[in-house]
Amino acid sequence: MDLNYTAEDVAFRKQVRTWLEQNMPRQIRNLEERKAWHRKLYEGGYLGMGWPKEYGGQGARPMEQAIVADEMARAGAPAPTNGLGVGIVGPTIVVHGTDAQKRRYLRRILTAEEMWCQLYSEPNAGSDLAALRTAAEDKGDHFQVNGQKIWTSGGAIADWGLLLARTDPGVAKHKGISCFLIDMRQPGVDVRPLKQITGSSEFCEVFMTNARVEKENVIGRLGEGWGIAQTTLGYERGGRALARITTYAGQYKHLMNAARRLKRNGRPILDDAVTRQKLGRIWADLEVERYGALRVLTMLERGEHPGAGGSLTKLSYSEFEKRFMELAEEILGPYGQLTDGVPPEFRLEVDTAVGDHGTWAYAFLWSRAGTIYAGSSEIQKNVIGERILGLPKESRADRVGGIR
Amino acid sequence: MNFSFSEDQTLLRNSVRAALDEQCKSAHVRAMMEDERGYGDSLWGEMAKLGWLGLPFPEEQGGAGLGLVELALVLEEMGRAAYPGPYFASVVLAGLGLQAGGSAAQKEKWLPAIASGQARGTAALLEDTLDWDPASIATTATKAGTGWTLDGVKRFVPWAHVADVALVPARAPEGVSLFLVDPRAAGVTLTPMVGIDLANRWSEMRLQGVAVPADALVGPAGGATSLLEALLRRAAVGASAEMLGAARRCLDMSVGYVKVREQFGQLIGSFQAIRHRCAEMLLEVEKAHAAVYYAAWALTAGAEDAAMAASVCKSFVSEAARTVCGDAIQVHGGIGFTWEYDLHLYFKRAKALEPLYGDAAHHRELIVRGVAASA
Repeated sequence: MDLNYTAEDVAFRKQVRTWLEQNMPRQIRNLEERKAWHRKLYEGGYLGMGWPKEYGGQGARPMEQAIVADEMARAGAPAPTNGLGVGIVGPTIVVHGTDAQKRRYLRRILTAEEMWCQLYSEPNAGSDLAALRTAAEDKGDHFQVNGQKIWTSGGAIADWGLLLARTDPGVAKHKGISCFLIDMRQPGVDVRPLKQITGSSEFCEVFMTNARVEKENVIGRLGEGWGIAQTTLGYERGGRALARITTYAGQYKHLMNAARRLKRNGRPILDDAVTRQKLGRIWADLEVERYGALRVLTMLERGEHPGAGGSLTKLSYSEFEKRFMELAEEILGPYGQLTDGVPPEFRLEVDTAVGDHGTWAYAFLWSRAGTIYAGSSEIQKNVIGERILGLPKESRADRVGGIR
Repeated sequence: MNFSFSEDQTLLRNSVRAALDEQCKSAHVRAMMEDERGYGDSLWGEMAKLGWLGLPFPEEQGGAGLGLVELALVLEEMGRAAYPGPYFASVVLAGLGLQAGGSAAQKEKWLPAIASGQARGTAALLEDTLDWDPASIATTATKAGTGWTLDGVKRFVPWAHVADVALVPARAPEGVSLFLVDPRAAGVTLTPMVGIDLANRWSEMRLQGVAVPADALVGPAGGATSLLEALLRRAAVGASAEMLGAARRCLDMSVGYVKVREQFGQLIGSFQAIRHRCAEMLLEVEKAHAAVYYAAWALTAGAEDAAMAASVCKSFVSEAARTVCGDAIQVHGGIGFTWEYDLHLYFKRAKALEPLYGDAAHHRELIVRGVAASA
């Protein structure tokens, strides 16, 4: 056990810091500027770092990936784009795709020449994703897709989508699903922004009406879609582990400064014993998240797969973020709810998970998403119970039969 | 960066577990709960033989020269077994205190004796107000000839009734100072304080005109504050390791139980209400593990954030262990509330350690001071 960074990692961190100082844009005003920044990161060797070298990546260690993301969080660097492409679609193609698919798609994912989204959730298939009903019908020379997707992150700017659709309604629900690459820029695909409680639209609804998928764009074999979606191997898994904590820590220090300035009963809130207890608890929780991240990075560095352990990480940080933001709101009072006209001392200048929305109000509202997306906390607890603790499965009404 | 145990550390854990599984079964714990002295010679002798009693001391003083990570591994296993005996008091409180602040002669006298099991030590860190801040110490030390006279009342002194030496902080004219006191000396009165964890023993220690010689002073007169703070940090992390072991035991027992207990014609582990609780317990235990071993490493390595890590550890683990052990009783239902079932041994161990060496609120205040100073 040695929790010091190696000399090599310290040197790498310094190199990244210097590079960011010299190359980081002051401001990102639109998608084109974000794509330009994305390409600059790629050309600098700081994007798609975990991808194998033969596909344009750096073959970097998880710790190096974590350091880059961490330094970006520290510097308040704008996020790159095409996150689902780089994080999920690309790795899926690397593992399950044909050589032709790899040649056609991979490089353009890394350069953000082609933007990607993930077409998984449906209005009636959220936590129960395998209940999805979007159908892909074999029309001889192509597949015809009909159905509706929801919670499609980045759908409005996507050129391509990684699609889960049902190809066989006659078999048990997990077995009739296949995985496709679908062209989002076709008449049969209608993308509508979904306005969230934040007032912004990071997500979309996608309606597919007789949309076309070419035969060569099946990933894996028909009927294997569920397994592919379950085993999606992210190469960027080391990625956000430390950066997330650094972002929280930056926000926390903003909050502490606000608590120095704000008063209750004639005294700064920071001097209030109850508030101090709450602040102390959140900092302890934040530090424990950091220790957990170092543990996960240790596993990844040894080439071990956290597997269902990822559910512990996700459950933990998403629930933490909610508690943290609730405390922030408590301390900030109505300042914490301002979406416009925020006095500078109560702004939140830290880059959030999804964009440059510099208000506590946005961060607070967004914290409600984390315990729902990518498997709700309840689903994570089921996974932990079944796969880590080996608890018996619950009896379920949908274990047998088709989905008609 | 490597947050995993070395091969040697894993071997140590396995050997400690094997020895305690063999010699510290719950029947032994229960027998010691009713024993007047409270611990057994054969296990104590075995611990000396296996080198646990000198684990963190330098080799020239009969120790193994290991760090707090290894010590935490041993303590975690002791928590898991609800080990009854003066290990913590002797090795962590007296041993580490002397190692950090003792003179060469004091170390030479006591550390090899503690390591061999011939002597037992403790420390009297708490008084009637239960404030862990060394500034609150009211026991007095007045000069008497070349030595000192101590007067005051210490509370919750662990295993004082079997100790050969106690580290006793007292207020001298120069400020808070630390003294070595023989608990059997004239003027010292010990009264048992019996808590819910019967496998752990405490005494009130009343000091009335207790004469100690000049060489009983540990470190400079008036210079004990930083030594006490450093000792408290180590004790807090050590106690956390024991709480972690107790919590892990409660989790394991719960998971085992819900896999065999049936109600409504089903295993209760298949119910989400139970399964989710078990998942939450696991998460707390894993976080507690990270908090304990990070802090143990940081203190050993002298990391910049070592003091912060100790406070993070104790504040987090105190509550995590309480929650997990309490949830274990809930998951078990009625059987978990019976004396015969072993669960309460671990529940009580965690509860007993929760307020010691700074409770969660104490450490949260230290955390906020630390962050505020840097932000």
